Amino acid sequence: MDIGNRLSKAREAVGYTQKAVSEKTGIGESSLSDYENNKREPRFSELSRLAELYKRSIDFFLTDKPIVENVMLWRRNPDTKKKKDTEAEFRQFCQQYQRLEVIMNEVKETELPYAKGKAEDFSFTQADHLAEKARNEFQLGDIPSASLKQTLEEKYYVKIFHLSFTGGAVSTISEEFGPATLLNKDSKPWVRNYDLAHELFHLLTWNIFDHNDFKHAEPSNFEEQLANAFASKLLLPTDPVKERIESTATTDRRIKTENLDEIAREFGVSLEALMWRLVSLYGKQPTDIEKWIEQTKNMPSIRVKRIPDKPNELPERYCSLAIRALRDGRLSLIKFAKYMLMSYKQAQDYLTEDKDLTDEEVSIIVA
Amino acid sequence: MKKFPLLLLDAGPIIKLFELNLWNKLLQACDVTVSRTVIPELKWASQELEDVRIDIEFYEGKGLRIIDHETATVASFYSKLSSLYKNLIEPDDGEVATLEYLLSSSEKWILCTADGPVFRLMGSLGRGEQGISLQELTDKVGLQVGINWAKISPRNANWWKFTKKFREVYTKKGQIDATQGQGLL
Repeated sequence: MDIGNRLSKAREAVGYTQKAVSEKTGIGESSLSDYENNKREPRFSELSRLAELYKRSIDFFLTDKPIVENVMLWRRNPDTKKKKDTEAEFRQFCQQYQRLEVIMNEVKETELPYAKGKAEDFSFTQADHLAEKARNEFQLGDIPSASLKQTLEEKYYVKIFHLSFTGGAVSTISEEFGPATLLNKDSKPWVRNYDLAHELFHLLTWNIFDHNDFKHAEPSNFEEQLANAFASKLLLPTDPVKERIESTATTDRRIKTENLDEIAREFGVSLEALMWRLVSLYGKQPTDIEKWIEQTKNMPSIRVKRIPDKPNELPERYCSLAIRALRDGRLSLIKFAKYMLMSYKQAQDYLTEDKDLTDEEVSIIVA
Repeated sequence: MKKFPLLLLDAGPIIKLFELNLWNKLLQACDVTVSRTVIPELKWASQELEDVRIDIEFYEGKGLRIIDHETATVASFYSKLSSLYKNLIEPDDGEVATLEYLLSSSEKWILCTADGPVFRLMGSLGRGEQGISLQELTDKVGLQVGINWAKISPRNANWWKFTKKFREVYTKKGQIDATQGQGLL
């Protein structure tokens, strides 16, 4: 058991100095140094405090298994400290999710339809084909944004969280907890849709671009362009979008920007994303698109501001697993509150006896 | 002499005792020991509750003893758990260190918990008689909880885990596990 090395790795992963850790935990700097250099071991309660601060389970420090850290791919990178904080929080949520699946015996094996091939051969045409294949296989229909997230979560068990952080989106594939994506809670719904589709490309091509290797921890510009092309094709499928545009266009085949924005709203994307899609749909020049986008920037938004624009941080399935685990006595109230980001008092509501309950379980014969 | 000179308490019952305003009375009746690993859970809970402030360290030396544990000892204990129990009990849970302490001691400690897997593990190790529910504990030391325990069913998730029946159910599960070679490896 090499606790020292693990303590040091975990501290570096959240970007803290020993001094900062000392201030936050009350454990002396020299003790921290001794622990990290395996000169002596922390008491169990100290290890517990450090694990909490580093957003790790204690198991991480006690195991003999090799340390496996996963690459996290970022869309719109923040500075290093913020990046490390977000990654640590995201990883912890994913591990908690996986933990809930284990204790409820609901670990699912369904695999995403990962793409095959070599990075050097991957072209825009293949990104297009992959988007078409995904739309068909996921049965996303004519308006893919309406069901993409739910399909990924409920059918393919992708762990999707929404947190407030600096940056666009994050994705990873872990041996421990599988594919996962983090979206920015503060982004507009249509931006989140696009980010999710963009991240889906990274998940589907994870092995092709060798993201298990930290040498490839940053996607290349070309890969990002492919991901954008994929997202665009996935969320704005050729036939339904063309049909909608052409039914709105005037007899001289022109369409007002306001109408285009309405179509973008219907498909759950930004006006800008739809405009870029016109390049491949109608052979428009990118320079023209840039000009039009610039012109629309001063256009007042006509989209309704909806109350639930802020999504829940935690996936619905995650919450459902946690509630059932609590009520089955497989998760303590304290841990439930922590997992669910709620106070102890709020957590207690999930245990309150309903007045109309009897001792009889309600069940229905279905077969 | 106090009724329970060797009483270990887990986080769940401690919080409940504070909620019921019975903590001080319990300390008068028993010598209580808690693991230091449990304290963050109590502090965390107390920060979130507006009306109850649990500062457990205040009671240290006043009927309460707080014990710490060697990491290697707890790690060694945890590594010996079968995969079934590793899935049920995490080392992050405060009770792992408490369990290790109880099981390795030559003294006959009694552990009051509201955690099914803990009773279950004790049952599987033939230590079922060292587990006690909050219902039994309060009954034995004469504390009035003001609840009709007989009416608490498993559907009452808020109280069920503090009942004698709950302890019995989980201890029994552990005893069955033992016949199937589960528990410690």
